[in-house]
Amino acid sequence: MSKPKVASDWMAGCSGCHMSFLDIDERIVKLVELVDLRSTPITDLKQPDEAGVDVGILEGGINNTANEEVAKLMRSRCKILVAFGDCAVFGGVPALRNFFTIEDSLKRVYKDIESNDAEAIIPSDPELCKPTRVRAVHEVVPVDIFMPGCPPDADIIFYVLSELAQGRMPELKNDKLMWN
Amino acid sequence: MVNITIDDKKFEVPEGTTVLNAAREAGIDIPTLCNHPMLTPYGGCRLCLVEVDGFRTLQPSCTLPVINNMVIRTDTPKVRAARKFILNMIFSERNHFCPYCLVSGGDCELQNAAYAEGMTHWDLMPNWEPHLLDASHPYIIIEHNRCILCRRCVRACSELVGNFTLGFEERGAQCTLVADLGVPLGESSCIGCGTCVQVCPTGAMIERWSAYHGLEKDVKRTKTICVGCSVGCGIETISRNNRLVGIDGDWDASVNNGVICDIGRFHPVNDERIRLTMPMMIKNGSRVEVSREEALRSAAEYTKSNKKEQTIAVISTRLPIEALDVFKQLFSAIGILATTLEEGLKTKPIATLADSGRYPTEATLDELSHSDCVMVIGEDITKDHQVTSFFIKRRVPSGLKIISVSSEPVGLKNFSRLHLKINAGSEVEFIQSLINTCKSEKIDEQSKTGIKPDDFQQVVDWLKTSKNPLIMYGQEYFKNKFLDAVEKLTELAEASHAKLISTKGGANSLAASQLGLDQPISLDGVKNVFFVVGDERLSEPVLKKFEKVSNLIVLASYHSPLTDVAQIVLPIQTWLEDEGTYLNVDGRLQKSIRSFEATNQIKSCTDELLSMAEYVGVEIDKNWKTRLTQRRSPVEIDENKMKEIQ
Repeated sequence: MSKPKVASDWMAGCSGCHMSFLDIDERIVKLVELVDLRSTPITDLKQPDEAGVDVGILEGGINNTANEEVAKLMRSRCKILVAFGDCAVFGGVPALRNFFTIEDSLKRVYKDIESNDAEAIIPSDPELCKPTRVRAVHEVVPVDIFMPGCPPDADIIFYVLSELAQGRMPELKNDKLMWN
Repeated sequence: MVNITIDDKKFEVPEGTTVLNAAREAGIDIPTLCNHPMLTPYGGCRLCLVEVDGFRTLQPSCTLPVINNMVIRTDTPKVRAARKFILNMIFSERNHFCPYCLVSGGDCELQNAAYAEGMTHWDLMPNWEPHLLDASHPYIIIEHNRCILCRRCVRACSELVGNFTLGFEERGAQCTLVADLGVPLGESSCIGCGTCVQVCPTGAMIERWSAYHGLEKDVKRTKTICVGCSVGCGIETISRNNRLVGIDGDWDASVNNGVICDIGRFHPVNDERIRLTMPMMIKNGSRVEVSREEALRSAAEYTKSNKKEQTIAVISTRLPIEALDVFKQLFSAIGILATTLEEGLKTKPIATLADSGRYPTEATLDELSHSDCVMVIGEDITKDHQVTSFFIKRRVPSGLKIISVSSEPVGLKNFSRLHLKINAGSEVEFIQSLINTCKSEKIDEQSKTGIKPDDFQQVVDWLKTSKNPLIMYGQEYFKNKFLDAVEKLTELAEASHAKLISTKGGANSLAASQLGLDQPISLDGVKNVFFVVGDERLSEPVLKKFEKVSNLIVLASYHSPLTDVAQIVLPIQTWLEDEGTYLNVDGRLQKSIRSFEATNQIKSCTDELLSMAEYVGVEIDKNWKTRLTQRRSPVEIDENKMKEIQ
């Protein structure tokens, strides 16, 4: 049996979940023996293989049209999609902006912020993606495994990936279930 | 007893028990959010739904009484699915974001319930309708975004505290916790007791001074008593790294059953005074730090060599009986008047009457919960001895007749069936008129009190026709007519068959009075004062009075204007660092337990007084129990407890 292929990407998050992933330390060697790590934000390959991967991992919520594309691409190319961390599962800290309108948020960040001068403008180049409300991944594409945590503990990440690598569905409960 | 079956196990439980309590008794866990053991079941959150044979729908176990042969199932797929659905609904109703909530990580009952159901995510996302924070109150913040509308706070405010401040307005998604008729909490009738915060299952009610100081797993809880006043409420101190971070009421305490006031809960945490850590003396005109031995030896020498008639010794009633007793023995042996700040005024008249056998044994605080008519005079019990006012106010819905009598505005006014505003200084005349009315003697139409004969008649009718009438009184408004007042109240109690309860004063007022530390203070001709301040916060007038004394020796926990002028200052432990015995307002002997270690190896007041006695050369007998009961007490002192305490 060939090693399962794993790809990951990050969206509206702080990349802390990926950092927590690196916190599995030397166990990464064991993990690489079990899985074939394909595209990730910190490897050269940036998009999951066209031929598809077994496990797709998404960190962060979806807060613009670019994130939507990332999520849809990952979903279309993976068998099992993992929502990785509180932002992917709940919207997380970026979702605080949902309490305001997008116009107000943009105005605050690009015009009103104390470090800006009077000529500040809100970027509107048609090339740019459009900001949206911040959504959890499962509001945009179906998710198979929810791994909450801000960030998820390295032990939990290792548990989930090693279970998947060995063809089992991880079950997050008791001490492995942690939202904060 | 009735027979029931829960999850295929048979149990025999008392009739009238709810299914929830029966299950808990049997060790079967049913999750709940709105239910609280101290509050009337409400059935609001629906998390405790169970399947009952013969019932068409799932039933809330917290409000469902058991009936014979009931078959209950708590762990079926249907129940589990309902719980998960309910939790999803609750999470979607407001904005529960665990990463930025202070109770997340173990202290949130909602989060724990979700974990228990294995919820990895929310099927329904929040509605993102922001709710404004109410941070208008000095101690409490209401975070409406975390509110699950369980109404625990509302029930606590009315059922336990009797303040009826909190309530709900609007329906459905608009349903919101409000204070009074929708004013900010800080501008409402809230008295800041914080019971609502203690019962809140989520992070919706926040203690401003304790927030983010540590989760339950990080802190140490100590069951002890509050020494803020003579009620002696049971509390749990919450400390971390030898520092107080919060105080909760102790639900198991027999005195108060968990309710405490703002002074008990918030004041000690929000104490900005600076701790004394080193003994100090004035040497050659300047203040220098000295060793403990030098301070003690000098204090002993001063005390011995001073002229007895120019010297007095004063101690705070916040200190334990052990300290009061050593203090009394030490200064009696030297021949110096030993007393407390307030007992001369507040408890001496009662003690004198009690000792002469003319004073009836007072009612206990428990009797406030069974009384049908309470008259309160002489003190605003919603300010001092506040928890006693909770016992009274919370019985308004059950028809307790409250009569408040005062020349000053008092907090009890709005809760009273009859509020009599009398002319200032006419308290004693008022009581005399009641006595006359009791005896059907004619009273003056134009009485000095400003009260009409009809009102006197009303009060007397209520007192006389009630099953368990009580008269609660304090010294404050009687001022120096207190002895007269107590005599008249004794007479009134007899004429109306009412029982008396006096509020006394500080935590150990009764003990101080029993030990004879109750001479009125006069500083005329006094040049030297040995002042055991302890951790008491002295009032401005007291500070002004004692600052003028030429030679001051002060034993205190905190810096104050007195420690700035004292010849000798010796630091002692605070009530949280010390331990000892207290005699509360109705004769309960209670132990105060050490919450954490004192800084800088500071000794307790008792230890320092014992060391002083050694330097002075006075033998101290540590068995205070016989001395505590030497004089007759106005209340029954708990004999069993006396034997228990070593």
